[in-house]
Amino acid sequence: MSTHQSFMQRHQFLIRRLHSLTGILPIGVFLIAHLVTNSSLAWGWFALKGRGGAEGLSVSEGGVQYFAHEVTYLNTQVPHLFLIEVTLWAAIAFHSILGFYYAMGGQGNLPHYKHQDNFRYTLQRLSGYFGIAFIFYHVATLRWGWSFLVPNGTEWSHHWSASTLAAALQGSSEGWTAMGVVVSLFYFLGVSLLVFHFANGLWTAAITWGLTVSEHAQKRWGYVCAAVGVGLMLASWGALAGAMTVDYDEAQAIEASIQGSHEVPAEQLDVHTQNDGHTLQTAEADPEG
Amino acid sequence: MSEHRVIVVGGGLAGLAASIRIAEAGVPVDLFSMVPVKRSHSVCAQGGINACNEVARQQGYSEYQHFDETLIGGDFLNDQHPVLEMANWAPKIIDLLDRMGVPFNRSSEGYRDLRLFGGSLFKRTHFSGATTGQQLLYALDEQNRRFVSEGKVTEYNFWEFLYPITEGEGENKRAVGIVAQDMRTMQIRSFRADAVVMATGGCGLVFGKSTNSVICTGGAASRCFQAGAWYGNAEMIQVHPTAIPGADKCRLMSESARGEGGRVWVPAKKGDTRKPNDIPENERYYILEERYPKYGNLVPRDIATREIFDVCVNDGMGINGQNQVYLDLTHKDPDYLTEKLGGILDIYEKFAGEDPRFTPMKIFPAVHYSMGGLWTTYTPGDYSPSEPMPEHKPGNPIPVGNEQGHGLTIGAHNNAMTNIQGLYAFGEVNFAYHGATRLGANALLSCIFDGLCNGVSVVNYIRDENHAGVSEVDQSVYDNAVKQEQDKHDALLATTSNNNGNKENNPYQIAFELGEIMNNQSTVVKTAEGLQKCLDKIDELSERYKNVQLGDGAMWTNQSLSFTRTVGDMLILAEAIAKAGLLREESRGSHYRTDFPERDDEKFWKASVAKFNPNTGKSDIEFVPVKAGLVKLRPRTYGKTAPEKAETKTPEPANA
Amino acid sequence: MGAAQASIIGAEERKANRAVAVEGRSVIFKIKRCDGPGKPWRWESFKVPTEPGSNVISSLRHIAANPVTVDGKETTPVVWDSGCLEEVCGACTMVINGRVRQSCSCLIDEYAPREGDEIVLEPMSKFPVIRDLWVDRTRMFNALERVKAWVPIDGTYNLGAGPQEDHDHQQMRYALSECMTCGCCLEACPQFIKKEHEDQWESSFIGPQAISQARLFNEHGTGKRLKDERMDTLTGPGGIQDCGNAQNCVKVCPKGIPLTESIAAIGRSATIHSIKKFFTGK
Repeated sequence: MSTHQSFMQRHQFLIRRLHSLTGILPIGVFLIAHLVTNSSLAWGWFALKGRGGAEGLSVSEGGVQYFAHEVTYLNTQVPHLFLIEVTLWAAIAFHSILGFYYAMGGQGNLPHYKHQDNFRYTLQRLSGYFGIAFIFYHVATLRWGWSFLVPNGTEWSHHWSASTLAAALQGSSEGWTAMGVVVSLFYFLGVSLLVFHFANGLWTAAITWGLTVSEHAQKRWGYVCAAVGVGLMLASWGALAGAMTVDYDEAQAIEASIQGSHEVPAEQLDVHTQNDGHTLQTAEADPEG
Repeated sequence: MSEHRVIVVGGGLAGLAASIRIAEAGVPVDLFSMVPVKRSHSVCAQGGINACNEVARQQGYSEYQHFDETLIGGDFLNDQHPVLEMANWAPKIIDLLDRMGVPFNRSSEGYRDLRLFGGSLFKRTHFSGATTGQQLLYALDEQNRRFVSEGKVTEYNFWEFLYPITEGEGENKRAVGIVAQDMRTMQIRSFRADAVVMATGGCGLVFGKSTNSVICTGGAASRCFQAGAWYGNAEMIQVHPTAIPGADKCRLMSESARGEGGRVWVPAKKGDTRKPNDIPENERYYILEERYPKYGNLVPRDIATREIFDVCVNDGMGINGQNQVYLDLTHKDPDYLTEKLGGILDIYEKFAGEDPRFTPMKIFPAVHYSMGGLWTTYTPGDYSPSEPMPEHKPGNPIPVGNEQGHGLTIGAHNNAMTNIQGLYAFGEVNFAYHGATRLGANALLSCIFDGLCNGVSVVNYIRDENHAGVSEVDQSVYDNAVKQEQDKHDALLATTSNNNGNKENNPYQIAFELGEIMNNQSTVVKTAEGLQKCLDKIDELSERYKNVQLGDGAMWTNQSLSFTRTVGDMLILAEAIAKAGLLREESRGSHYRTDFPERDDEKFWKASVAKFNPNTGKSDIEFVPVKAGLVKLRPRTYGKTAPEKAETKTPEPANA
Repeated sequence: MGAAQASIIGAEERKANRAVAVEGRSVIFKIKRCDGPGKPWRWESFKVPTEPGSNVISSLRHIAANPVTVDGKETTPVVWDSGCLEEVCGACTMVINGRVRQSCSCLIDEYAPREGDEIVLEPMSKFPVIRDLWVDRTRMFNALERVKAWVPIDGTYNLGAGPQEDHDHQQMRYALSECMTCGCCLEACPQFIKKEHEDQWESSFIGPQAISQARLFNEHGTGKRLKDERMDTLTGPGGIQDCGNAQNCVKVCPKGIPLTESIAAIGRSATIHSIKKFFTGK
């Protein structure tokens, strides 16, 4: 027995199991919540209609209304939001860094062993790499306000959630730009791969933890994971499609009305008003806008 | 005590059983093998392992009957005492293997399942799918690995045994170590030991294509033979009736296929070209069932082989005129077959491309096992009837119980020892157990029995106070032995031709021609003329071998050199096999001489003992009486019916 | 893997090839060769006539007896490992047309049915090469030692029968026990990494072979006495956690051993073992 084992080596098993666990809790759970919320851009109108609140709204406007409402609620009413966010970011960082390190240790051989499972093994790693880049961009631009990475420098705000998201994806607040297409494509790939990563990870986790032992059990669980994956994939595409079809000005109007109807503490409103002003100015200052 | 060491050469069932037994007694073991021991030829054994069991016992079977069956199977050429001891140990050996974790097939209630095998009408064969040998070998390998991990056994895998080191002359000659070569680095060195156990298996490659692994050259036995060890019953070579002919070897189709109901047949009409499944039942000639109504397809191997050979070669009734007959399992339930025989059926499908569950297999006999081997002795046990017993009938009172020590004196120094002190021969390379034919599923038993029972003898021998330890043997004895082998090695290397040489002197060509002549003249059917032709050819090949040219002069992992060296040893062994066959002017078991078709107990109820003559480079053969006295000679018929030619049974040709 | 990749073909195609194989043809063997550890690699091609039932072994034997390349260059015989030639010993494993398998059961008719078709032979890439197609698989046996792949019996003297076992359980154990330590699963496993030296073996992924063997002995009545020790090894460095679930192992296993089920079963044992260990402190 070699005595010179590093901390990582000695606790490899535990760390790997934590890696597996964090993928599901909190990351996977958050992913589901996030995609459900965001996809309301696509299905919000139907929900409103069910309650009789969709009158006079187009499907897109209904989506914006529902989504903006949800986002405002999450950002203002959920307690300890900051703590939750930091925990989530820590979990993602842990999962990403270890995942990257582990994935680098494998030697893919898909060209020689073209099996469906091996394809997923390979894609799991590629989607991990891509996902890390995507999540970083996504969080940095939309959460940390690194607006210099966004075409036209649009800064996202939870008060103007649908409109600023649409501007970030479309490339400007005035409609589509070439860079907007690139960003949207990047988003499409990013969310699709991450959804795959989660669904496939759910499948392998059941083997890792020993829940599905027999081949039949693995197959059956595979169908469940595939269903989860398809559901989340539809949600993510719905959210993207919703955001990509949002009209900036219409959304702004709806969002403004929601802010008006909400009892939001005055100083917070101020901050965001300033923010909004900044966003608009940037958009206007853009000669191409 | 700790300065004593034992060398075991060969890591198959016999070698591993010996290694485990000896290490368990606290004696360090050095285990040499040309392959990682888990790849030894024992993996190829398929059918099972025989032992009396409770079910059979309650139907009148007994260890004693197992003993009696083995003797009649071997046509009374077996040494009787070790066979009795072996049969008595058999059920205990099964229990031990069971404890080691061998996954023996189970009945629905969870007891060990049993199957029929050739030479017996009782179910007395324990099995683990159709890869019993593999499963037993793995179990012993696992136990051995445990000793390796505890430092009690040292494995030398990929080391080739080159020569035994001996000191003294005549009766005082004793083994004090071996010379061996690392097959990767090509390093040659000596190893000291107080005793050397040879467990090196058979010599199938002497016959070219056989069912044996590529390592079963008989080279190690031949080297001991050249060092002065006697070789017994060399001519007794078993040809297995059912093998799949192939380009590189003949793959075994286990006797268990017959044990589980397989039927051997050919189309009753010569030249019938229909597909087997299109030939109706009444137009098939079930060779063994018609000729041996009592045992049917379960006759011993030599008989099945000769009948198949007869039908194909003499009557020309093989499938499509070729040397092939059908082995048919298609009447059995496919799921049943998969469970009981899956391993071998898959092998057939892989190599022949047809699923034997639905299409009859095409098979033909192939060289399989050497009953002959290094001559060994023993000290009989306490059973000594006033006169030899007649045939034992099932259910009759048994003349001797199943306790140990009746057949052999357990732990006697000389059990399974060759004529060289301290040089033992275990397993297939021990000539003692199987006489002129081995019964199916007795080989695994004899290997493990040798290791377990006679391993104790090895330990007792080296602990004998009268026996000077090898640490006192002069180093020069070892140095000289190494030098002799190094010189031989270097001389071979010096012949490297880079293949510009004469094709005549190509070692692969010499081996090929040796295999061809041995297979044609010294297997199923032998004649004086054919064997003489064989000896002449061996002479010619030996002359050519003197000018053999190596194709590879590498000083690293030179397989060509190893093979070429072995070809020389194979030629020497082949000469003994053919000469003993020529001198045994009778037919007995596997040895069938058309010019002497009857068994001649008067002259030849004797073991042939070959001694290497260093002056001529050839063998001198003597015939010495078989060590018997327990069971009386009787004819070996297996209830054969009067010879009926197939033609007389041929139905009217179908209107097709 | 610089080889010009001859196509990797499936079972159906092999069957079809067998049906159309041309008699008396010659095929080309392109072989990746190396004279010893640390020596450079090279490719050599040989033309080999076929006969009925030809396989890679009979072809390599032909080359050994006639070591001349297609360019007419004299060379040394190709070195390779082999044993039983019946696919039960595991020795002759190599990479054929980019995919690992036993060479004895590789029929030329299935791989190269037409005149001049090429078959590419390479040594296994996950083990140190000894020479040419022969590699050193000592690591696999070492792994068996590490997981204590044996039943700890009380010696070889007669103590009666072993634990009784029901029929289905025996069938399950038998399937696992057919493992012939050939290394196909390790060669195809993207997580199993070649390590030249013994001191690196313990910290690198142990692979499906040893994991499945650990399960075999955990399932035996007496063998399970060492279960905790086996699980300590398999939850240590290079243990079960390194499996990436590519599931190539089960697809290349020539014996059809349910390796992925073994991995999941050991995963379950590892979960229970580590929780138990956490709370009992053992």
